[in-house]
Amino acid sequence: MSYGDELDSESAELVRPYVITKGRGLPDEEQLSLITLVTAADDDQRRPTRLSPEEQNLLDLCGAGYLSVAEIAGHTRLPLGVVKILLSSLTESGHLVTRPPVARAALADRQILEEVLNGLRAKFG
Amino acid sequence: MTEYIQNPVLWALLVVILVAIALIVRQRRAARALRQEMDGLRAHYSELENQYSQSVQAAQEQAEEATKTVLKSAMRTLQGLAAEQQLVVSRLQNKYGESVILQDLLEIDHTNSQFGRRAQSIAVLCDGWLGRQRDIASVYDVVRSAQGRIRHYRRVEILSQVDFGITSRAVEPVALALAELLDNATSYSSPDTVVEINIRTVPKGICIVVDDAGVGMNDEERAKAERLLSSDRVTGVSGLGNPPQFGFAVIGVLAERFGFEVAVDSSSPYGGVRAVVLLPHDLLTGMPERKAPAASKTASKAAAEAMPGVGGPEPTLAASSTSDGLPKRRRKRPMAIVPGSASVTRSASRSGAETAAIMGAFQRGTQSGRATQADPADQTSSTRGADSEGHEYS
Repeated sequence: MSYGDELDSESAELVRPYVITKGRGLPDEEQLSLITLVTAADDDQRRPTRLSPEEQNLLDLCGAGYLSVAEIAGHTRLPLGVVKILLSSLTESGHLVTRPPVARAALADRQILEEVLNGLRAKFG
Repeated sequence: MTEYIQNPVLWALLVVILVAIALIVRQRRAARALRQEMDGLRAHYSELENQYSQSVQAAQEQAEEATKTVLKSAMRTLQGLAAEQQLVVSRLQNKYGESVILQDLLEIDHTNSQFGRRAQSIAVLCDGWLGRQRDIASVYDVVRSAQGRIRHYRRVEILSQVDFGITSRAVEPVALALAELLDNATSYSSPDTVVEINIRTVPKGICIVVDDAGVGMNDEERAKAERLLSSDRVTGVSGLGNPPQFGFAVIGVLAERFGFEVAVDSSSPYGGVRAVVLLPHDLLTGMPERKAPAASKTASKAAAEAMPGVGGPEPTLAASSTSDGLPKRRRKRPMAIVPGSASVTRSASRSGAETAAIMGAFQRGTQSGRATQADPADQTSSTRGADSEGHEYS
């Protein structure tokens, strides 16, 4: 990763990740996987002031629609597990709603693909 | 008369008197000489005593100085190692962020932070190196940094925030002083109580109030603490007792050197100690452009990974503030699942119609995703959905 080079030239983050998570443990994989979709709850207006800047940031991110956990982590500078912990605590407090990922479509039928390939070859090849 | 002269007794008496006079004179002279000698000796003695105490003091100072120098360079090495290890741990946390190892890495990070703080405290007492200069940070982040440097950080709760930053030169000293206060607060209160931090704006600057629910200090302890916090404390490391109590001495040195005030003379409403750190205006500054370079870097990096075309305008977007009156929060660019939203998010402030359009687009996108789930024959959209998902996190 190119991250290492950047970190060498600067000091580590002032606020350590375990403070950001307040020492909470990682959530279950079933509860929050990489492709679980997350969005802000409808009654987002009652945003409390006791949230940390990172949590506020996550709420802002999720405000626009469903995002996957992996995408959210990509937008923060935090380790993925830390983002997961924050997301699960925000979900527990009712600020966020999660939805299991959309299941992948069944694999395409090999026979159809071969027919398409043959057709394309017949037409262009 | 002659008979008197003839009288040998008279002569004898005369001789005796003369002898007595001579004796007295001699004694007097001897006594005077003795007295002078004694005075001289006394003067000499006090001179010697002075010289002795002076040389003892000099030796003491020299020894103290030598200890300080040795400790200073030793601590400098330890501090450097702790900082290096912190970077390594940070890198590992980013690398293995998605695995269960993260939990252990966070614990290592916590231990390492405490280790670094100890070394820093000793270095401060030896007039040593405080650590690398930090960027301007918000008061809230400095408090959280302090929180992370103590063992029982989970028991600390920050109840209020202010929109102020701390100048870069004061970030580390304030964090260290506050960490020592929090260490005292958590060590001298029972493990099931909470240590509360309130940050308040006052006319002279900002107050960080630390309340614990411990047993408090008696008069003697309070006097000792105040002496350590004031400028006439014992300098150096030798007067700290065994086991050494660094806390107040470190805070005192830092407060004096960097110009903030710390008071522990009041009681908290929970029965323990209330410690108040007063940061004057010249240590304060506006809210930092919080992680702005970092955020724009990550955002543009992520954007470049996601879609190479839109990496450019992101930094300007990262500097905008949200609509709910919190200038420090940065709205990151929402990830464009549906291509149409990318252009919309370039405008810093979004109208209701645009938001509605985005939401509509999202809804269409998710609906099409659900539709393909129900109907696997619709291959084009389903594979596209799977592709974009796979693309974002791999």
